[in-house]
Order: sequence, then structure tokens, then C-alpha cells
Amino acid sequence: MADGVEKVVAEVVEQAVPEQTRAECAVIALDGVTREYAGHGGVVRALDAATFSIVAGEWVAITGPSGSGKSTLVNLLGCLDRPTGGSLKIDGVDTASLAAKELDRFRADKIGFIFQQFHLIPYLSALENVMLAQYFHSMTDEAEARAALEKVGLGKRVSHLPSELSGGEQQRVCIARALINNPPILLADEPTGNLDAANQAIVANLLGDLHRNGHTIVMVTHDPEMAGLAQRKIALSHGKVFCHPTGAPVVKLRR
Amino acid sequence: MKLTMWSMLRRSIAHRRARSLSALVALTVSAGVATALLTLYADLDAKLHHEFRNFGANVVVTGATGASLPLDSVARVQAAAGADATVAGFGYAVATTDRGTEVVVAGTDFSAIKRLDSWWSVDAWPVAGEADAALLGQRAANFVADEHAVKLVYAGKTVTLHGVGRLRTGGDEDSRIYMPMAAFTAWTGARVSVVEVQVPGGAAKVEAAIARLKTALPGLQVAPVRQLVEGESRIVDRTHALMYAAVLLIALTVGVSVLATLSASVLERRRDFALMKALGGSQRQLMGLFLLEALVLSLGGVAAGYVVGSGLAWAISEGNFGTATLPRVGVLPLVLLLNLLVAVLAAILPVRVLRGLQPAALLKGE
Repeated sequence: MADGVEKVVAEVVEQAVPEQTRAECAVIALDGVTREYAGHGGVVRALDAATFSIVAGEWVAITGPSGSGKSTLVNLLGCLDRPTGGSLKIDGVDTASLAAKELDRFRADKIGFIFQQFHLIPYLSALENVMLAQYFHSMTDEAEARAALEKVGLGKRVSHLPSELSGGEQQRVCIARALINNPPILLADEPTGNLDAANQAIVANLLGDLHRNGHTIVMVTHDPEMAGLAQRKIALSHGKVFCHPTGAPVVKLRR
Repeated sequence: MKLTMWSMLRRSIAHRRARSLSALVALTVSAGVATALLTLYADLDAKLHHEFRNFGANVVVTGATGASLPLDSVARVQAAAGADATVAGFGYAVATTDRGTEVVVAGTDFSAIKRLDSWWSVDAWPVAGEADAALLGQRAANFVADEHAVKLVYAGKTVTLHGVGRLRTGGDEDSRIYMPMAAFTAWTGARVSVVEVQVPGGAAKVEAAIARLKTALPGLQVAPVRQLVEGESRIVDRTHALMYAAVLLIALTVGVSVLATLSASVLERRRDFALMKALGGSQRQLMGLFLLEALVLSLGGVAAGYVVGSGLAWAISEGNFGTATLPRVGVLPLVLLLNLLVAVLAAILPVRVLRGLQPAALLKGE
């Protein structure tokens, strides 16, 4: 891991948060969340009574092997799916109570996605890819989109197509897109999984900056070093959450 | 700069040129064939009836007992049948040639039968005004010694005709000698005994003309040439049915092709759509984006297909009927409807795929 990443870890302002404060500050709260799918061989329980909370401004890493339920959890936290049991509250709203259309709106308001494979639309420029998130959220604002790209160091690459950008640059466009609507939660799914060491450091620094600025980051990762940057880890195995030290240090809340 | 659904659509179509072009070509083929067939269909009745006119009379007027008709019968038949009908009177007599063979001689109006029986194969028609001109049937020509001086005897009276040309029909006409009506009457004393009429139009129009003829010519027998009238009606009906079936079959074939193209279009972009869903795009927005693309391609296909199809109809008409068929704006709404229907039906499956997208799994690359 590059020096820059270690610097991010060192800069985390640690502060223990009492349980009562944690409950009050929770932007994500899962209580016995279960997700079952009907399969050919019967019902498959992809997530089994998951209970944990994430407070505002916290940087949490979700780890676990393939098939452990990480994707299901990301699906649920990203409001792309709803639990079949238990309660999932995001920013105080029970997602089960939202209709499909409301859930689309809620997702656009509350969640910024950062993907391992960047998922930029190949025929839109970097600027337009950022504006795409604005388009589905409310209305497009070119100046804001430019500012977001400048923030991630791509002010001079706004008109480039994804194919004209490096992997690291594409991921930074993806981060700018995730930030453009100012969502309270950033959901990063293996954000450095497709990057070389230099670009990993750039993205890790960027996430560190966002964390310092008070963004809540939920990061799914296989990479122990990236997971080490987070304030705490939530480990999954066979759909069960088996480790979530709730008393772990968190950053000072600055939202 | 603004990012709109339209600008995204434009970029998307341009980015996937090959796929978009393939869908456009399929929809153009559908619209083109529909335009061509519907344009021809609209003109079909007139064209087929025109063709059937070449087969000769479809109504025959005769005396009650085979007797001669009144002197003015041809004029009265023409008046009752209508100005657009072609009328020719015939008088018949059996004469003897200079070789001693009996032959049927028919007196008629050459200019009228030239129009009435345009299917006859004649190497040279007699010119109007030639009182002794004759048209010799292929077989009848063998019964005379000299085609240029055809000597015929009827009831002891001899007439010499100048054979102008030969006639080949493959029927009874090949055994006859045709001559001008006035010279025939002067020679034989016989008048018109049969009037053949070609009424343009379908069976209903022929029936109406027969009714008028019966009223105008009481005491005469007016009968349709059943085989021709019914055959024409049957062929017109069958051609209509065939064209309907062809349009449907082609629409179905093109529908399958468009279905494959649109399905592939959704499948290859399912990650893009999943991303849009993850960014907050509603089901309606995504459907709108996809269906707008299908609509744009469909309208493009209709525009191109109308031009291609009109040209095709023109070429088919020119090649088969010898007359051009002009583009008909009236077929455009039908073609548009058909193409939209094809696009909508072909979009059902891809839309189902789109509705069932699982963004998390897709964006994860699973």
C-alpha cells in the first residue's frame, strides 16, 4: 500500500461513540435483516438476520468471501432490493415502507455508488457521465458537474470519453458522479479492485478526504489493506454478520 | 450543455451504429414491403381489370333465337353498356373458298375488335376504310389458294378479298375469315347477329351493365361470359388475400428480426440500464429511453421504407402491368401503424428483460 494510504489512516480522528449516540446518529440501521430467494432447490437465505448500524460520517468496510452475502447486502443498502424480513432504515426511513417509485427517488437522494468496474456510459463524456446522476436525481447543472470533476483532479479531462481515460481516472469520474447529488451515504463496491497500486493510492486518498469531510462510506472490499483504512469492519460469512465491533472508533461527525 | 433523453439517445444510436443500422434496415424492409404492397393493392383492382380487358368480351348479346339483331343494335348496346365499354358486332355466314372448302366468314368492325380482343395475335391489322380487306385465321388461310386474292362464294355470290394479315388465337377464330361488316352485309345480306361487349370493372359492374342491357334491349339475350367474369372476380379476391398474407408474413418475419435486434440491444446494454437504475432512474425513465429508441428507429424505418416501397411499387407496376403506380400518401398511416405494431410487439420481450434487471448483480459483473 502506498504512503498516501497510510497517511489517510493516520489522519483519522478517533473518538469513541457511546451506544446511545450511535443509535441517534445511525444513517443505516439493520435489525434482523433477512433476504431470501426462491431457488430451484428451495429457499436460499442470502442474508440471515443481519443486525448492525452505521453512524453518519463513519467509514465501514464490509468483508467476506464470495457467496457470503456481500452483494445481497450492497443490494439492500443501495435500495436496489428490499429485505424479506427484519427492518432496514436508511436516514431514519424504513425502506420496506417505500413503493418502487419512491425507492428510486430515495436511492437517488441518499446513495452515491462507486463501482469496481466504474460503469461509465461509454458514449458519454466524463462530464456527461457525472451529469447523468444529476439527470436521474433532479436537473443537470454543468457548472456543478465540472466542479465535481475538478474536485477529483479531472478538471482538464471533462470532455474525454471513458475509453480515453485511464482506470484511475475512470474511477475518479465514478467518485465525482457518486458525489454530485451530495448523498449522505457513499456505497463503494471494491473501489480499487480494478486499479494498479498508484491509482489505488489516489482513490484511497480521495476516499480519505471524503471521510474527513464527513461523508459516510460503506465499502465492500476483498483487499485487507483497503479494509484497514476503514474505522471498522463488518465481516460476512454464509449470509451471517459475525463480527461488527460497534464500539470501534469513528471520526468526529462533521455533517 | 444539457444532458437530455434526446441527446443520450442520439449518442447511444451513434455509438452502436451497426446494431442501430441493423434494426433500421429491418424496419425499413418492413415499411418498404408494406408500402409497396399497399400501394399496389390500392391500384390492384384497376390494374387487374385492365389486364382482364385484354381477354376479350365479358358480355354477349344475341338474338332470341339466333336471328339477326336490329340494325342499330351495336349503337344501342354501346349506349346501355356505357361509354367506357368496348363493343363489337359480328355477323356470321358459311362460304366456300376457291379450294372448295367451307369456311366461316365473319363480318365485323376491325377497329372495335382490335380494342376488344387485344390478346389476339395478328401480324397485320386491316386499315379502316379498306372495304375488301380480310383477316385470315391461321387454319382458314390453308383453305384458300391465294391470300392476296381470297375468293369466296356465298349463295352463288362471289366476293374477292385482300388478305392483309393472319390471326392466331388457338381457338375457333383461327378457322375464320374476318371482313368489314359493310362489305359482309352487302355480299351476304346478313346483319349483326352477335354483339360482344367488354365492360370494365369487377363482377358487380358487369352485373349492373347486364341489367341495363336487358332493360334497353328487351327480347334479346344478354349473358355474361361466366368463366371470365367469375374467374376475374376470383383472381382479384385471391390476389387481395395473397397480398394481405404477404404483408402479414413479411411483418412477422421482420418482427422476429427486430425482436432479435432489440433484445440484443437491451442485453448488450443491460449494465448501462442497471447503472441508470442504480443512479435513481425509474422504471418509467428507462422504459422511456428504450422505447423512444425503438420509436425513433421505427419512424426512420417508415420514412426510408415509404420511399423505397413507393419506388418498388412503381417498378413492379411498370414491369408487370406496363403502367407506373404513383406513390400514395394514403398508405403512410397504415405503414406507420404496421411498423409501430411490429416495433411494439418486438419490444415486449426486451422490455421484460429490462424490468427484470438486477442492478447489483449486473454491476458486480455477475
